[in-house]
Formats: sequence, structure tokens, C-alpha cells
Amino acid sequence: MPLGPQTSAVYLQQPASSVLSGAIRAPSSVTVHPAALFSILDHFLRRKESQERVIGTLLGIRNEHEIAIKSAFAVLHSETVEQVAVDMDYHRTLYELHQKVNPKEVIVGWRTGPYPAVHIAIDTGVQEGEQVGVRAYLSSPVGVSPKPENAVFIPIPCELHFHEAERSGLLLVDLLTKAAASPVGLESDLANLEATLLQVSDMVDRVLGYVRSVIAGDVEGDVTVGRYLMDSLNVSTAGIEKGKLEELFNSHLQDTLMVSYLSNLVRAQVEVSSRLALFYNIHIG
Amino acid sequence: MAANTMAAALAASLPAPQAAPAPATPSYEAIPASMAKVIDTEGEIPIKNIQLDGLVVSKIIKHGRDMASASSSVPAYGLLLGLDLDGTLEVSNCFAMPNSSDEDERTGKAAARYQSAMLRSLKEVQSDDSIVGFYQSTTLGAFFSQTLVDSLAAQRDRLRRGGVVVVHARGNAAFRAFRLTPSFIDAYKRKKFNTQSLIQHRLTFSSILEEVPLVIRTNALMNALIGTFTEATQEPYEDPAGSVIPTLAVPQSSLPPSFSGLDLEPPSYISSNLERIGEGLDDYKTEENNVSYLLRQITRERARADAYVQKRREENAARISAGLAPLPEEDVSRLFKIPAEPSRLDSMLLLGQLDSHAKTLENLASSQLVKTFASRV
Repeated sequence: MPLGPQTSAVYLQQPASSVLSGAIRAPSSVTVHPAALFSILDHFLRRKESQERVIGTLLGIRNEHEIAIKSAFAVLHSETVEQVAVDMDYHRTLYELHQKVNPKEVIVGWRTGPYPAVHIAIDTGVQEGEQVGVRAYLSSPVGVSPKPENAVFIPIPCELHFHEAERSGLLLVDLLTKAAASPVGLESDLANLEATLLQVSDMVDRVLGYVRSVIAGDVEGDVTVGRYLMDSLNVSTAGIEKGKLEELFNSHLQDTLMVSYLSNLVRAQVEVSSRLALFYNIHIG
Repeated sequence: MAANTMAAALAASLPAPQAAPAPATPSYEAIPASMAKVIDTEGEIPIKNIQLDGLVVSKIIKHGRDMASASSSVPAYGLLLGLDLDGTLEVSNCFAMPNSSDEDERTGKAAARYQSAMLRSLKEVQSDDSIVGFYQSTTLGAFFSQTLVDSLAAQRDRLRRGGVVVVHARGNAAFRAFRLTPSFIDAYKRKKFNTQSLIQHRLTFSSILEEVPLVIRTNALMNALIGTFTEATQEPYEDPAGSVIPTLAVPQSSLPPSFSGLDLEPPSYISSNLERIGEGLDDYKTEENNVSYLLRQITRERARADAYVQKRREENAARISAGLAPLPEEDVSRLFKIPAEPSRLDSMLLLGQLDSHAKTLENLASSQLVKTFASRV
């Protein structure tokens, strides 16, 4: 999932042989968690009037090939034309606080030890003509004698990454951006299912439209699409005996119904029992 | 509201705006002419709904997810920060609290230090730094617990607005906001959960908490960013031969929809949910036995006391008829120790937990049913 406008940057990866022994191999990509991006945007919104930009620390998990940025926190900084000063005390305090909650996440945004620093630039798109986007850069030493302060930041692919379980949350936020602040309730499994089914129905309609236009001769049929459709529709239950399928279906149905009845029964009993607790004691007391 | 009518009048006096070429007309939030009415300095305007920022949503989901992957049964717990404005509690930020399982650590000194350090730091970068409540993640829908009720009650005393809890169910992006009901607070303050008090306050598990409507809001920058994620990014590509491959796909977005909801396989947590219900029932049974044991003891003691009083009265009546001075009626409560009535809070919370487990299960089962029938045809 690309996160920004297309760039013409060529991502070069050093071949393994060119890496000196003992040196750490530079990661080849960066993934960003939405929570980190949102934190950065929130910080930008809350900047002081005089501030042109905001600076923060990126926290994440490093592994061999990629860096996963999990969260970010704002850091105080002051900026003049010549230099940028970051409040290190502040940075350290907040980092320690974050470590207490999530010890796995380490600093990836600044040079720590032998690891290269990751730099994420978010274009908020507030200036006209600029596109919103996220770009990632990796520091790499430059010059004859490598010094920490000498570095170029080379672009590196950057993707949005989140766990499957978090998808519904993001989609929720996404839906809200389309319909301005509408009340959201508890999203139930059934509501989710309905939404998914509607989407599938949409897709079937689209395929149907395409197939019809191919049959009518409006569009030249594509062999790949045809084969693909054939494959997906050709799922048959031939392998299973006829009676067997029915049997499986019925037993599954019974199980599900049982669970449903059971849960309803429990709820009814619970309700009765809580009312009885009020009633039954009037007689004793 | 005055501001609304004014805005309407203004809008009417202006020339009709030109039709914007943009496909979606942006809607702007109305800014009231005067903030005097909506800023609540006295704490008089009751909170009618809660507005969660997109940042808070994503942070809570992430925290809940992290805790789930750490495979601990401890729920994710953190504090909500924000302000209230005209009956809407705007939650603009939140932070996670260190993971501690027991109540002592949660309210202990370390946590307090952590909290104040965090608040100070947030204030320095112009974030909201007033606590308005807390959030907690749940597993399988059960969120009632002694800790939750205690934390809410403790926050109520400390915070101006009384605390709210936002409950997040892992898995779905389900958020619900709750606060304690006045009748429960009253009973809690008196530390009385005996029958009398339950009847008086009409308390059952469903009346401990009241739900507050929840709205999620994203700011303009976030809108723009998410907008670009979901915008079309895929263009019909050309294969090396030069012919354009027709594509059936609608422009792919960075947030492709998930079809995992269509899996026919019942989720594995159905069985763990059932197990939990079983455990919950066992717990409740034990609690019930305890309560009824105590109640039996109370009745027994009371019967003995009554018998004693009765006997003394008869004796006195006999003495009076014999012309003797009656014996003093002693204080029975000193002679017989009638135990205090047991607190019903525990059993109430257990029932609440059972109910929400069963509710989740019911939901699951119903979606399974739909899928089963869909697969048949």
C-alpha cells in the first residue's frame, strides 16, 4: 500500500556482499502504523502559531529487513534558520514513560547505536498544490570518514501496516470522513456481515455487467479474466456424497442453533435471577 | 440555539454559492457566535454525548491489540484526555497506563507518578491535559468488573465531570461509552449493597452503568490523509507487449475491504466463549451459595433473638399478673450477633458479565446462522 504521491525515487538496496562484516544491514522497507501517523497529525494541529513544522520521536520494532513504526510522540523543539534544537530531556522522559507501557517498542527515529535512523516526512497538504503523503527516508553515512553528523537521507519504500483486527477501526474512521460526524454505535457482527455481503453483491454485479458486455460483443473478452471466472465458479461439491453434504449442513445448523438457544437461555435466566434477588429478600427480610 | 438561527439568517442574506466542482460538498462545523453559553465553568451542563477523536480510536485499538498479542488476560487500560463543551465531552487524546493486573498497582504511587509525568509532558506540546475518563478493552464482551466500577467511582470523586469509561471490544471496532448511574453512585457511596438498598435504588446489573451516545470525529488533516489512502491509486497498467490489459477491478484503495467476515468456519472463540459462560455460571453459583448461607445464618440468629424476646415478654406478663416488677427488656442486639446482610454487588457484577458473554455469543450465533443458510443455496 503506497502512502504518498508517486515518486521517481529508485530504491537501491545494497547487495549483501558489500556490507562489511559486523555492520548492520540497512532495512529495505518501513511500515507505519496508523496510530503513529495520527499522532503526528494531531501534534501538527496543536503546534504553536510560530511553528512551521513539528518534530517527534518514532518508536517501533526493528527486524532484519524492515522497520515497523508503531507509535510516535511529540517532542519540543526550537528552530532557527541555522539550527534545530530538540529538547532532549523531554524526549528522554517521554521515552521512559513509553517504555513502561510498551517495552518492545524502541526508538527508531533517531540514531541509536549502530542502527540507521528513519525519518518520516508527512506532507499535510495544507499548502496549495501539494499532495498529502508520507515519505520515509533512511540515514546513511556519507563522506570519507563516517561521522554521525554526516548523513544523507535516502528514500526508502514506506507502507501502511496494521493488524487485520484493526482494519475495521480504520474503515470506521474512513467511513466517517465521508459522512461528517455521524453517530456510531456498537458495530455488531451482523452489521459487519451485512456490509460485506453488500460489497460482494456489488462485485458480482460488476462482473455480471462485464460478462454481459462481452457476450453482447461490446468489449473484447479477456482470456485471463475468463479463466479466472471459470476457476472461481467451478468449485463443486462433487467430491462429497450428496447425502453427506446435507448431513453436514444439518449438524452444523443444529450446533449453531443450540449455541443461539443456549445464549438466549442464559440471558433470560440472568435477567430473572437479578429480579428475583430483589424480590426474594422482601420475604426473608 | 441562537447561533444556529443567526447562521441561517446570514446564509439567507448571502448570494447563493456557486456550485462547487468538487464531487462532495464539504460541510463545515458551525461555530457559535459566543462561547459564553457553551463553556461550562460551573459544571452545570450535563454530558449528553461523547466525541472520540480518530487519534483516540486508533490508539485504543492499537493498545488493545498489543495487549491481546501479549497473550495476557489483563485488559488494556488507559486514560482519556479532553474537554467538555456544551454537553459534548470531546476526547482528544489518550494514553496507555502501564500494564498492572491488580488494583493496588493501578492506583499506587508508581502509576500516579507515571500519570503526572505524562500529563506534564503532554501539556508542554499543547495537548489537552485534563483527564475525563478511562478506556478499557474487553474480551468477548464482558466488561463488568469490580475494578471497573471502583475506578469509575474513584474518578467520579476526583473529576469535575465524573468519569466515563469507553469500552472497546477487541476484534470489531466497537466502542461504547458508559458512566455510572446516579442510583448506583448513591448506593456505592453508602457502601450498602444489601437487599434494602438494592430495592430502594432499583439496582440490577443493567442499571449500574448507563450508556452515553458516542460519536467519532476526525480532524481535517486526518480526513485528507485517509482520503488519499482510499483514493484510487491503481491505474490500468500496460503489459510489455503494449496492449492495455482491461481490468475489472475498481480503482484499488490503500484500505482494501476485508472479506474475512464471510469465512464459513466458525471463529475459534465460540468455544472459549462457551467455556467462559460455564465458568461464569460456576462462579455465580458459588457466590449464590455464600449469600444464601449468610442469609440462613441471619434468619437463624434472628429467630433466636425473637424467641428470646418472646420468652421475656411472657415472663414479664406472668410477673405482672403475680404482682412483681417486670424484668427490664434487654437490648437483644447485644445478646445476639446478627451478621450484616451480605453485599450483593459481587453477584450483580457476575450476572452482568454472564449477560454480556451471552449477548456476544448470541450475536456470533446469529451471524453464523445467516452464513450457514447462505452457503446452502
